[in-house]
Amino acid sequence: MSDSLTRAEPVSSEPFAAQGVTITLAPPMARLSLRARDRATLEDLLGRKLPAKIGATAGEIACLGPDEWLLRSAQGAAIPLGEGLPLAVTEISERAVCLIVEGPRAAEVLMAGCPLDLELFASGRATRTIFETVEIILIRSGENRFEVEVWRSFAPWLQLALTTAAAQLR
Amino acid sequence: MLLIHCPYCDEQRAELEFAYAGEAHIARPDDPAAMSDEDWQYYLFVRANPRGRHHERWRHTHGCGRFFNAVRDTLSDKFEVTYKAGEPRR
Ligand SMILES: [Zn+2]
Repeated sequence: MSDSLTRAEPVSSEPFAAQGVTITLAPPMARLSLRARDRATLEDLLGRKLPAKIGATAGEIACLGPDEWLLRSAQGAAIPLGEGLPLAVTEISERAVCLIVEGPRAAEVLMAGCPLDLELFASGRATRTIFETVEIILIRSGENRFEVEVWRSFAPWLQLALTTAAAQLR
Repeated sequence: MLLIHCPYCDEQRAELEFAYAGEAHIARPDDPAAMSDEDWQYYLFVRANPRGRHHERWRHTHGCGRFFNAVRDTLSDKFEVTYKAGEPRR
């Protein structure tokens, strides 16, 4: 039955460009919420190191809280769920979409609605934060490149807000 | 904008990311059934409401998600200190 369903994105996948800033919908990806009191149990399960510091990233994994990580990877990657272990691996791929804000003035566009001082937010950092009143996860994946994870139903508003901020850069 | 130091993120972050969660260090009684109505009412409804130093709970809702405790001056709105949940009263 699922063969008859076609994927619908909550926002247009047409890239937007203004003032040297592009805003693009990222292709679909796998997302997993990783929770454990003891980081080592997750590291054993996944066979890779997890960042220990809140706000740090290591490859595909971001540390969001003292016992919380977000893993984003290509679709179809096999991740063990760790049944019976004192941890939780939860599939949340379709909860959010990702908008990529890129360009020399990308930080300025985000600071239109995000209270973080992005000049101090180095490349490789990630955090849950807020844009106006909408919760986002902000990942700085390059000097001029930000990935904004946002829950699907908030994405149309956020895309409008970001493209409007970009169009109004002077 | 008011900045609050999250003891888990170890960073000053904007108040917008936080939620206030009432007075801190109020332990739920172990055996409510054994209490008088007056004591129970006191536990449920009566709060210190001081002028000055106030111990209160906050949650870094749009951040690391953690509850923590803070001492804030209710006159100046200045945060004196924040510390992790479970640590002794400052
Ligand atoms: Zn925090």
